[in-house]
Amino acid sequence: MNPIRIVFAKELTDGSRDRRAVMSAMLFPILGPALVYFMMTSLIHLQTEAKKAVIPVIGAEHAPGLIQYLHEKGMDTKTFTGDPKAAVKDKSEEVVLVIPDNFPERMDAARPAVIELVQDGSRTDARPTIGRLQRFIRGYATEIASMRLLLRGVSPTVIRTVNVEDIDVASKQQRAAAALNFIPMYIILAAFVSGMGLAIDGTAGERERRSLEPLLINPVERFEIVTGKWLAASTFAAIGMTLTALLCIAAMRLVPLSEIGIDFHVDATQVIAIILATAPVAFLATSMQLALGSFARSFKDAQSYLGILVLLPVVPSMFLLLHPVATRIWMYAVPMLGQHLLLVDLLGGKPIPIAAYFLSALSCLVVGFALVLVTARLFQRERIIST
Amino acid sequence: MIDVAGLSKRFGEVTAVKDVSFEAQDGRVTGLLGPNGAGKSTTLRILYGLLRPDAGRVRVDGVDVVADPRGAQRHIGVLPDNHGLYPRLTAREHILYFGRLQGVAEDKLGERADELIRLLDMSGIADRRTEGFSQGERMKVCLARAMVHDPRNIILDEPTNGLDVMTTRRVRELIGELRRRGIAVLFSSHLMHEVARLCDHIVIISEGIVVAAGTTESISEAAGEPNLEDAFVKLVETVLP
Repeated sequence: MNPIRIVFAKELTDGSRDRRAVMSAMLFPILGPALVYFMMTSLIHLQTEAKKAVIPVIGAEHAPGLIQYLHEKGMDTKTFTGDPKAAVKDKSEEVVLVIPDNFPERMDAARPAVIELVQDGSRTDARPTIGRLQRFIRGYATEIASMRLLLRGVSPTVIRTVNVEDIDVASKQQRAAAALNFIPMYIILAAFVSGMGLAIDGTAGERERRSLEPLLINPVERFEIVTGKWLAASTFAAIGMTLTALLCIAAMRLVPLSEIGIDFHVDATQVIAIILATAPVAFLATSMQLALGSFARSFKDAQSYLGILVLLPVVPSMFLLLHPVATRIWMYAVPMLGQHLLLVDLLGGKPIPIAAYFLSALSCLVVGFALVLVTARLFQRERIIST
Repeated sequence: MIDVAGLSKRFGEVTAVKDVSFEAQDGRVTGLLGPNGAGKSTTLRILYGLLRPDAGRVRVDGVDVVADPRGAQRHIGVLPDNHGLYPRLTAREHILYFGRLQGVAEDKLGERADELIRLLDMSGIADRRTEGFSQGERMKVCLARAMVHDPRNIILDEPTNGLDVMTTRRVRELIGELRRRGIAVLFSSHLMHEVARLCDHIVIISEGIVVAAGTTESISEAAGEPNLEDAFVKLVETVLP
């Protein structure tokens, strides 16, 4: 039997019996999508809540026209009695609309009439409701102003100096992908988390357990030993990643995204493409971990190094978030950035050039293999057996 | 047979082994005796191809260790100084893993494992995971995996260190058995009585230098001391700084 296969088989058996490693490898893929699901649903819940909000009003009878306007726009109102500031402060109300007694008087005299919106600026959850309310009040004011101009024989367009029109070129799916930007990051992160246990155990763990010296006495090249370990850890990483991707997609399908006007749709071919596109990251992640694990003096040492390494896949994602740039073909050749771009486009339903798949896979595998060679060199050092 | 000539090894400024020469012949037990830090483990690590000597050469059954370490390793079974086990593998899985790495044919491997399990009297623990094994049980697993490819040369680095009386006896019996089979056994120890009792040929090493070699009697005679312990102390002190 080929030595690489012998080491690979042993590491898989050993790794799958390591309950702690398996648990952390499985927990991550399950926990993340669950978190995503609850975050998204509560976010959507808040958005839709704003539409259903009933606005407490003091002095509704002074401005029947405004109240009527609000009702027409689908915003309900109720009569409020008591201290509006206290009610907002103790969070029993998000906002209170106060219409003073002099409102009709000033309205009739065509002088600026004041209404008060009592709100707590620190409450982010109330913002959608207040935003809607303010928009409607402005709309009402503009309508009144236009009517006044018309009565004086002036066209209302005179006061419309600049008109802003929002033209959103993103398709609904792309907007969903933008909102779901963190999913690619999470999937790539899964590769680092799921393969880590095996990668540490096979390097720093072997040294700490003092089992490395007996292993290296066998007539097998160091490169073959490292490669066997690499492939085993990568298998774990790839499984963790695939599981994460599947569960993320499942979670997104459960989230009522259509309620906020986002249409999320991923079919079977896309799922396969996502798995294929991300798999090379598994090989890259574990090769980094093996190299670092071989440097480390102990298991604990290795864990702290690799804890920092986990931040690495966040870099390209953050970069894209802060500097949204047009995708160029060379970007696919940057390990992890390439996969991130592929995932965003795949989830967003955009067409992807075939070369992108090859470039991103090739760059990951080439860098990964180079790091395996580095690790094999580290295994050659005489120091590797001293503990 | 292991043939060592003019071996030297430095670690930075420290000379660990200096011009060490000796032979471990077939069917004989050769003991490498020396105090802690004398260079025993370093010497043995060079013999089984884990360290490269700065000078000198080692031949194992005619194969040069420096030129062809993998080739030489096929002819040696080693119980190294570091002899950790994989806690999640069973005793038998350890034997099988090392057998495969040594290139033992798959159809003969199961039989060979059974034979070793019998020889080392470990049938009760063969299919248990090694986590929680006693020192003696661990030692048996290590010895079994070292011998799985039926090597003609066996190197044991402090094989009885930390073992109880029963297991120590077992190891001694095993060494005797190996000798009867015509295998070259080389083991290191810092325990005088152990070496005196088991070895046909003794090499005393101190500060990385061979200070004496021969049988118990010839060494005692050369040092002018009636027992080996006194001879050992006297010889070791001659090279101490």
